[in-house]
Amino acid sequence: MRIVIAEDSVLLRAGLTTLLTDAGFDVVAAVPDADELLRAVAEHQPDLVLIDVRMPPTHTDEGIRAALVIRRQYPEVAVLVLSQYVEESYATDLLSIGTSSVGYLLKDRVAQVSDFLDALRRVAAGGTVLDPEVVAQLLVRRRDDPTDRLTPREQEVLRLMAEGRSNNGITDALRVSPSAVEKYISSIFAKLDLPPTDTDHRRVLAVLRYLRA
Amino acid sequence: MGCGSASAVPYWRWPCSSPPPRVASGLARTDEAAARTLLGPSRSDELALQVESLARSRADIVAATDAERRRIERDLHDGAQQRLVSLAMNLGMARASLTDASDPARQAIEAAHDEASRALAELREFVRGLHPAVLNDRGLDAALSGIVARAPLPVKLRVDVETRCSPSVEAVAYFIVSEALTNVAKHADAAHAEVTVDRDRDRLRVRITDDGRGGASDGGGSGLRGLAQRAAAVDGTLTVYSPAGGPTTITAELPCES
Repeated sequence: MRIVIAEDSVLLRAGLTTLLTDAGFDVVAAVPDADELLRAVAEHQPDLVLIDVRMPPTHTDEGIRAALVIRRQYPEVAVLVLSQYVEESYATDLLSIGTSSVGYLLKDRVAQVSDFLDALRRVAAGGTVLDPEVVAQLLVRRRDDPTDRLTPREQEVLRLMAEGRSNNGITDALRVSPSAVEKYISSIFAKLDLPPTDTDHRRVLAVLRYLRA
Repeated sequence: MGCGSASAVPYWRWPCSSPPPRVASGLARTDEAAARTLLGPSRSDELALQVESLARSRADIVAATDAERRRIERDLHDGAQQRLVSLAMNLGMARASLTDASDPARQAIEAAHDEASRALAELREFVRGLHPAVLNDRGLDAALSGIVARAPLPVKLRVDVETRCSPSVEAVAYFIVSEALTNVAKHADAAHAEVTVDRDRDRLRVRITDDGRGGASDGGGSGLRGLAQRAAAVDGTLTVYSPAGGPTTITAELPCES
């Protein structure tokens, strides 16, 4: 898999390059700002870009704005955004263009190496990965109380779905049987009035409907 | 009769060239007093000027403190935080490469990795409390959802502010909500809380309500006193309504341009 990294800290840029190279990925460019990122994407047409939110010149949301440009102009490029703090307003921006091949994680998560690499592969494979902190922030945005409709366990399942986990992943995380997970998920679909279409699509819809309600 | 005709000078009249000293100084004093009253600043004018100058210097101090917090946030973000992420990442890679769980080196690395991850999380919490970058960037609404989501109890958030207030006032509003929710979590024994922020012309109103046991006061030692001081620093007010048994409502009213 071919990856472009955009990160203004020299230290982290080098660290991420080593991490991804060791894991067998091909880092085709590692750049320090959004302008160079857009040039590198045009030049290399990578499979995935890994983007830091705060970059020069203003150190605010350059990375998010660049991610939006890439999502619009290169829909086939997967985008994983990393940030020292995750903010729901950035997440909403990122998801506004579509919910596939996109991820938004706290930078801390790179320290959990195998989890981070899993997340990166899921995004590259077309999945959606949201940091649990983003999900928590999106949940407080709901107009009605989330506990009104879903049980705490169902909310937990939904949170794991929002992190892009498969049924097996949820089974492992919650230490319950696969059939219990299926039961929770169909109950979530029912409570959120989602029509029976293909399951993957319904999963994303469930997450989004719940988060944006 | 002219001044100079010596023959006609009555005994009580002093020569024109030199008026009697007492009369002259008396006249001068009266004159000066009249001039002061008519031309110069009155005591209340002086006080008004002083108030204006104090208000200006206080606003400068509030703005400077705000700028200083932002600078520290930025320094930590660019420095210590990146280093810690890098350290934790390297330890994570080392941990993943050592597969023998009984290896003492692996155990040491595991402990160091866990410790670095915790330090990173703590530093992140601290730095975000200093001054969230998203507050400048996107305003109160976006910044508050971060603290509300991290509160250890469910909190409803409603922000209805069309035109943004000055950065100093936004920062004060942010810290009031942040501190108030910390207080609720520590002392109130509440199951739910609600935060509403709205703007009525040039006033920003911030209200934090919880369904806890009440009895909160802004007396010495409580965090509420600090909140009142923060509000006062931008000419705002903070009121606490907290009867025993609850519920508690804290309301801050802040002038938008301070």
